[in-house]
Amino acid sequence: MDVSQYLDIFLDESKEHLQNLNTSVLNLEQDPENPDTIGEIFRAAHTLKGMAGTMGYKRMQTLTHDMENVFSEVRDGNLKVNAGMIDVLFRCLDAIEGYVSVIAETSDEGTNDNEPIIKELNDILAGKGGAEAAPAAEAPAEAPKEEAKEPAADAGHVWNVGSLSEEEQKALEDAMLANKKIYNVTVTVQENCLLKAARAFLVFKAIEESGEIIAADPSTQDIEDEKFDLSFSLIIASEGELEPILKEIKAVSEIADAKGGIFDGESSADASASEAPKDEKPKEAEAAKPAPAPTTAVAPVKNEVAKKPESKAAPAAKNEKKGGKPAVNRTVRVDIEKLDSLMNLVSELIIAKNSLVSGATSEAENGGNSNLHEQIEYLESVTTNLHESVMKVRMVPIESVVSKFPRMIRDISKSLNKPMELFMSGEETELDRTVVDEIGDPLMHMLRNSADHGLEMPEERIAKGKPESGSIFLDAYQDGNNVVIEVRDDGNGIDTDRVRQKAIERGIMTEEQAYAADDSEIINLLFMPSFSTAKQVSDLSGRGVGLDVVKSKIEALSGEVDVKTKLGEGTTFTIRLPLTLAIIQALMVVVGGEKYAIALSGIQTIEDINPHDVKTVESKEVINLRGTVIPLLRLDHILECESRRKADSHMIVVIAKKGDKLAGLVVDELIGQQEIVIKSMGKYINKCKFISGATILGDGEVALIIDSNALI
Amino acid sequence: MANELSTNVNEITQYIVIRIGEEQYGIDIKYIDNIVRMQQITRVPQVPGHFKGVINLRGEVIPVMSLRIKMGLSADEETKDTRIIIIKMDQHEPIGMMVDSVKEVVNLNSAEIERASFDKSDGQNAYASGIGKHETGLITLLDLDMVFQGL
Repeated sequence: MDVSQYLDIFLDESKEHLQNLNTSVLNLEQDPENPDTIGEIFRAAHTLKGMAGTMGYKRMQTLTHDMENVFSEVRDGNLKVNAGMIDVLFRCLDAIEGYVSVIAETSDEGTNDNEPIIKELNDILAGKGGAEAAPAAEAPAEAPKEEAKEPAADAGHVWNVGSLSEEEQKALEDAMLANKKIYNVTVTVQENCLLKAARAFLVFKAIEESGEIIAADPSTQDIEDEKFDLSFSLIIASEGELEPILKEIKAVSEIADAKGGIFDGESSADASASEAPKDEKPKEAEAAKPAPAPTTAVAPVKNEVAKKPESKAAPAAKNEKKGGKPAVNRTVRVDIEKLDSLMNLVSELIIAKNSLVSGATSEAENGGNSNLHEQIEYLESVTTNLHESVMKVRMVPIESVVSKFPRMIRDISKSLNKPMELFMSGEETELDRTVVDEIGDPLMHMLRNSADHGLEMPEERIAKGKPESGSIFLDAYQDGNNVVIEVRDDGNGIDTDRVRQKAIERGIMTEEQAYAADDSEIINLLFMPSFSTAKQVSDLSGRGVGLDVVKSKIEALSGEVDVKTKLGEGTTFTIRLPLTLAIIQALMVVVGGEKYAIALSGIQTIEDINPHDVKTVESKEVINLRGTVIPLLRLDHILECESRRKADSHMIVVIAKKGDKLAGLVVDELIGQQEIVIKSMGKYINKCKFISGATILGDGEVALIIDSNALI
Repeated sequence: MANELSTNVNEITQYIVIRIGEEQYGIDIKYIDNIVRMQQITRVPQVPGHFKGVINLRGEVIPVMSLRIKMGLSADEETKDTRIIIIKMDQHEPIGMMVDSVKEVVNLNSAEIERASFDKSDGQNAYASGIGKHETGLITLLDLDMVFQGL
């Protein structure tokens, strides 16, 4: 075993803690006195340090250690938070992030010691006067854990040598013959320890430097598989003394305690012996000082020997395992691929269910049995619930991506010397995990865009009578089956004339075209590759990568981007994303004898319209629906087929909506609502804009899915 | 070309022989994923004429094209012999190709293949990579890259 198998967890959690730290430090900047924030930072820094230490990343550990020291001083009220300190802290976090990303790539932390930052951290410490007491600060943090420890663990472990395997007994005898000393050691990990097996592994490594492990309870395999509660016991053979070994063990972080004594080979080896000398030495309860930091003083070692009647050994060991169990974490980390395959299975199930439904319906028409029908209805509700649950499992709040933005805006603000603030709402809005993973970059581009191009410099803002500090808003909310994310700024808006000018310069449009085009067409130019209007290329944006990437990314997620801008007042980018990607509720319709599906999310109502009520405005057909004039789209024309309804009969019109725009889609027949699984049609045949995919119906037939948004 | 032939005399390639009109065409068997009977094809609007639509192949939606129309011949007439050949080439998504019928599998060694230069401007020849000489007659070997070009 080696620690590399924990690398993924380590990286995930480090990133989480870093994010946490970034957010907290940002809060601290606003509210330097808040004890909760300071405590939060201290805890996160401490955990990060422990994790880095476990994984053997010494440089990262040193840096986090120094950062933690600063915080312990702040927490104890010996240091005051100031702007300079916040800057150093942010740089420190960036450096740690640097370590993490290097580790992610090479699984090694690299060679950057980040000495300047460490020096600055130490300067802060020194600035308050006597720079010491770092270990002192650690002690209180550990103290409660120690108290919570099971008294049983103190008593050392009772070995039933009879339960040792033959090899173990042999090894034991060999070691004794070789005049090695045999020790019995019980190691207890901290209650909130995350990587118990990794700690155990480090303990093994520490022991093997000076001795040899003869037996373990639970077995080494079980320990490696994390099948132990908080403590495990070892029989160790060594030529050296016990104390240095115990010291080594305790130097492993998150080890609460290690104690042991001489293993009485004579009496224990005789498995049948029911009495053994009980030779318990006085305990030193306060002695067990954990040593997460290398600076901690040498902990006094307890010499207590565990020699108890063998006959009671087994039940005693059982008792020891009970209680003191860490609170079970109620969440599970699951590989997204596993969820994907689960989702695929649910899709298959829904297709199979649909075919049962259609089979049963035709059966029922022929007077088939009703029991079957009932069962199928039941199956239908189960599959629907199953689908919803799987979807929910995949949903994560967008918080995980947006929480890094306040920090980013702060940095941009500093580097551009442009005061600005980011206001976020709706961070709890949930989206499919795959969408959330992909949405970070586009959002970042848009925010940078707003910060860099959108907001004016403070002088300009004051001249315009705006508040000096610019505002950027990031609002997320759910709207029907969509999630909407808006990025809004109160900057200057998009200067369409400048975009026109640029388009002409770049030869994208001729002069006439440019002036004939309306503003929305002009704004759409911004989404073209390599089109940047920034007068100056800055570090942040203006390299011509950005909005086109944003658009293609979002369209790849079946979403859309919309821009609204008003010169002098600001710009709003609206991203609309589907809540689910694979399975949707759809309305099945017939047009010209062919079946089509329309996503239910895009449908407002279904109307029965008298053909006489259809009016013509600018040679386009419209209907007046309760006071609203709605353009009419005849699907048979659009789909290039022939309607089978008589021209004078009533028309079935599906009213589709897109944002605040409406359109009436004329269909021949309605079949009903159905859950459909969206299948891609492949790239050869996806040229048709308003067909978003296909689905397989219960009878195996393929029906196309009409994207009503593309029609409006 | 002559060199290539002399060095690879013993190389045997298997072809599936299909019929379109009166002509025989060979498709390298390594590109063929499946051959299925004619089934209901769902028409897709606003696509080039040689696309017949999409079918359901064991739960996947696969586009189907007509080789006849692609070659500039008259439209397919569905008979009981009509088949859809599912072609899967590296780097390409699977695609179905409608043919009049599937005849047999033949083994051709490189000596039996003539890679003459064709007049590529001629509709039918544009998709030929060579001519196979077999006891059952001449077989035009399809150049699938050409068929798929510009799809």
